[in-house]
Amino acid sequence: MSGSAARPALDRVQVRVEGLARAFNGVPAVRDASFTVGPGEIHGLCGHNGAGKSTVVKMLSGQLTPDHGRIAIGGTPVELPSRQAAQRLGVALVDQELSVVPALTVGENMLLGDIDAPLVNRRRTARARCRQILDGMGLEHIRPDQPVTTLGIGERQLVEIAKALSQNARVVILDEPTATLSDVESAHVFAAIRRVAATGCSIIFVSHRLSEVLDLCDRVTVLRDGSTVATTAAEQLTVDELIVQMLGETPHRLAAVAKPATSQAYALRIEGLSVPGRLVNFDLTARAGRIHALAGQLGSGASDVLRALAGLHPKATGNVRLRDRTVPYRDPVAAARDGIAFVSNDRKTEGLFLDKSVAGNLVATRLPHLGRGGVLRPGREQDAVRSIADLAGLPAGRLREPVRALSGGNQQKVFVARCLGRNDVLALLLDEPTRGVDIGGRAAIHRLLREAADAGLVVIFASTELEELLELGDEIITMRDGRIVRRYQGDADGSALMRDMTHGVDQT
Amino acid sequence: MTSADGSRHSAALATHPDPADPTPTPGGRLPRRPGPLTVASVVLLLPLAVLAVTTDRFLTLDNARAILASAAFVGITAIGATLVMIVGSAVSLAVSQTATVVAMVFLVTQHLGLLPAVLVALVCGVVLTAVQGAAVGYWDANPIVLTIAAGFAVGAAATWFSGGTPVYPASDAFVVFNRTLLGLPLSVYALLAVTVLAHWLLRRTTAGRQMYLVGENRAAARAAGLPVGRVTVLAWAFFGGCIAVTGIFLASFNTAATVTLGGTLTLDAIAAVLVGGTAIAGGRGSALQTLGGALLISVISDVLLLRGYSTGMQILVKGLLVLVVVIAVHLRTTRGWR
Amino acid sequence: MSRAWLARPERLMPVVSLAVVLAAFVASPLVSGRQLELFDAYNALQGFAQLGLLALAIGITMIAGEFDLSVVGTYALGGMLAVSAGATSPLAGVLAAVAAGAAIGAVQGGLIAGLRIPSMPVTLATYIALLGLTNVLSGGLSVTYPNSDATLWVDKTIAGIFSPRSLVTLGAFLALALLLGGTRLGRELRAIGGDRRASRVTGVRVDRRLVGLFTLSGALAALGGALLAYSYASANPDPGLQPLILAAVAALLGGVSLAGGRGAPLGLLAGALSVALLAQIVVTTALPDYSTQLLYAALLAVIVAIESPGLHRTVDRIRARRADSPRRYPCPKP
Repeated sequence: MSGSAARPALDRVQVRVEGLARAFNGVPAVRDASFTVGPGEIHGLCGHNGAGKSTVVKMLSGQLTPDHGRIAIGGTPVELPSRQAAQRLGVALVDQELSVVPALTVGENMLLGDIDAPLVNRRRTARARCRQILDGMGLEHIRPDQPVTTLGIGERQLVEIAKALSQNARVVILDEPTATLSDVESAHVFAAIRRVAATGCSIIFVSHRLSEVLDLCDRVTVLRDGSTVATTAAEQLTVDELIVQMLGETPHRLAAVAKPATSQAYALRIEGLSVPGRLVNFDLTARAGRIHALAGQLGSGASDVLRALAGLHPKATGNVRLRDRTVPYRDPVAAARDGIAFVSNDRKTEGLFLDKSVAGNLVATRLPHLGRGGVLRPGREQDAVRSIADLAGLPAGRLREPVRALSGGNQQKVFVARCLGRNDVLALLLDEPTRGVDIGGRAAIHRLLREAADAGLVVIFASTELEELLELGDEIITMRDGRIVRRYQGDADGSALMRDMTHGVDQT
Repeated sequence: MTSADGSRHSAALATHPDPADPTPTPGGRLPRRPGPLTVASVVLLLPLAVLAVTTDRFLTLDNARAILASAAFVGITAIGATLVMIVGSAVSLAVSQTATVVAMVFLVTQHLGLLPAVLVALVCGVVLTAVQGAAVGYWDANPIVLTIAAGFAVGAAATWFSGGTPVYPASDAFVVFNRTLLGLPLSVYALLAVTVLAHWLLRRTTAGRQMYLVGENRAAARAAGLPVGRVTVLAWAFFGGCIAVTGIFLASFNTAATVTLGGTLTLDAIAAVLVGGTAIAGGRGSALQTLGGALLISVISDVLLLRGYSTGMQILVKGLLVLVVVIAVHLRTTRGWR
Repeated sequence: MSRAWLARPERLMPVVSLAVVLAAFVASPLVSGRQLELFDAYNALQGFAQLGLLALAIGITMIAGEFDLSVVGTYALGGMLAVSAGATSPLAGVLAAVAAGAAIGAVQGGLIAGLRIPSMPVTLATYIALLGLTNVLSGGLSVTYPNSDATLWVDKTIAGIFSPRSLVTLGAFLALALLLGGTRLGRELRAIGGDRRASRVTGVRVDRRLVGLFTLSGALAALGGALLAYSYASANPDPGLQPLILAAVAALLGGVSLAGGRGAPLGLLAGALSVALLAQIVVTTALPDYSTQLLYAALLAVIVAIESPGLHRTVDRIRARRADSPRRYPCPKP
């Protein structure tokens, strides 16, 4: 912790955000976000998924323009129509998504897009400065002329953070900078952040790891449903109080729905599943008829379990057996053939065929079953479409429209329904099954998953949303840093899950 | 309710040639809003129609025959190229060379009899092209670099094969391919047959429908466990068959094959596919559209020819046409999404 | 140079290909039975001058993740314009060609950046249209260039192996190497080709750079065409696809990737020199024509194999399977 001499001047204001609001296609993502950050202050921005943190960050960094509200930096109201404009006003950003260009070297990335970088390269000064920045981040082993491709994901993230902190900015925004970092790496980052803050720079720090937020930040603003709940001094907060602020009231299990496995049910047995750099020795016996929930933030390995099972991690090792057959899970075609259906967390780039019709998407994965000898029978196809649409509760009148035209909720329904009503699917794996889905759509998808389990499928899903985990999971497995933290059999509550996911340690 | 259904139905009819098909591939347009493509086609086609009808000797049976005949050779290859573009492999730059080699093989094997020669030529085209498809489908090889390499290899084979001199056939049984039936050359019937076959393949078979899916979103197709590699190989194999058919007709028409027999086939075929409105990114388009594209190019060239414009002007107009259609198709794809 | 310096493909590819081709060039008397002369080097550099600017034009667009097929069209048009506008003043002809090439490139760049269209179909259409335009301008025939002084001058021998034409080409490579290596533009170009989203997020002006890039590419191609037309004393309305393919091969041998994000002008220089030398070797050794083609095919096949992500996945899968096999679990957990 910083000593009293270096206390930031909390009575002064460097960044003022007032009544910020922004909607997408009429759906508000941010309604009323307001907070202030003083010079030299490290300000935490917390909120559950969908609370609007990333949208606020995008508006502050010039990637989105607000519908309403004002942003003032250094006392003057500012417009931020582009990244360049934001940079000129002294706003540096570490984006949520890794934005280090692999094609360049470390040093080149440091200079890329830096508006202060000279047009003509000054190799020696640039290298010396880069060396100094890297050393300050504990990266003595990285050379400035090293290609980024030779670095691990964590090191790349560190390079990006180092770059943002070195830009002599007035405001540095760090959007989930530590999601892929180890504890030692995070410690270096925090030390560097404190050094930069001590020069009078305002830091806005967005993170899911609540304990580190409380350790690092001076004050914490919590957003819920797009609005500011409160701004509190960090020393007056505990992790549990922060969780209460984020969730409103802690969700508890509504009814004990955990189902015991029937003895005849087949199972998906996973033993020692590992993915280099992502997942370590994951074990699970998933019985048909039950829903197994993997709880973990980005980088926890929860989604890697599902991807490895679906054959999308060619480097995965371990032993997986479905219905006592060994699944060749390094090949997606073979995984699908052996009865694994996968719903990825990104329905736009790795899920639906957005320009195709709803009907076309519903039958996309079952075409071989709709004809004979590779020739389709239109009648059977239409029957299939009708029955699945009926099952999933999709509006019958919109089956010919392109999926792109549907709402997020209906799109996700199409994605899930694509895997249902098929007797060749034995296990259903879903990564964030309700990301970006409205309340009504969520309930419908949850119902679909429960029905699928009741119909005798193995259902495993990964999620970061507490309510979803508690509502659906017959068994809940919390994960962090590629390892299992704890297993709950219908005895979990929201704050326990949250604590495991945000700062739990391996219990096994 | 009924009116809404009615308008939707008519929209489906307007956009899709086959309303019974539950996958309206080129979909994406809302009813009653003329998209940029519609506007562009009206702007382009109306003056063309006026120009054509007012052109002397345009509306004659002979001229119609000439148009069809000139569309045939490029058209057959373009139909095959459509499948490759739909499946997301963009384009092949080895078409001319492959057609040349097929033509040489066809002429050299004439002594085996006509049917064996045709079969050998077809197998040759299919195998040469399907191998490239396998590299693209299973390895995600870059189709442009790959087909440049294949073009060199196949071109070298053609040169080596012929010793750089024209290849002459041992018999002239192949002249049946130059016959006409009901006033139209056989190549026109071949074009129609290939189009119908490709259309059926794309719309009515599992593999064809999977081609659209793989082409639109390869990552999604992979994650869904679709046989990306196999489908890609199939599309390329069909393409190879089409190139082979073109090669056979080229050989028969010229009665000899030189190294430069393929000529500008590579780019002419791509132009026809693009004018048909198939997007280079894959996932949309149809064989019928490509047939339309090939015919449109043919009609325009014919009108310009009848009106006394030079070959250069014909090529220039073709290039501008491709440019306009590419932009219109792109705008239509991205509108309503951004 | 250290191993680490060479380990990067954008350096390894051009160094290895140039070294191999140079070795073959030096060894070629063993096959031809004739001593190498200074004239052979001159000829190789003339071949380089013919191909170089085109390779540079297409190479820089490939670094930025685009593929400018229209360069051959601009190349042909440049020759045509230079011949018709430069009858009395060759310099005016070159200027007209370069200006037209730059204008065509700027329009294409504006379309590609503004509408975010993939560059291939757009530049393909432009290529066809330009081919038509040169045919219209020339009536479909080669146009002869009457200014024989200029023709003699561009191919005049300098220092035994150079000519003004090859020196201009070399100069363009060096100037671009300085520009891209010495300023922020080089890394921005590779960033745009490597990861366009990240480039935008970090604040690179992607659209502006793309327009500038296509303008430069058009100007370079037109310059190459103009010089070639002066050298041949005639302009060919349809050079065919061969120059484009050879330019792309030179770029690929020069360490540029079609996926974008990789490459530098000096690599392109090595690639273009390799292709030119190879052509000269074939001439001096009187090897059959198809041997060059087979060699290109083999080289490109290696590039394809190195750069196919699916192939890497297959290798990973096989490795993981091997790592897995010794430790099969005997029975499931209770």
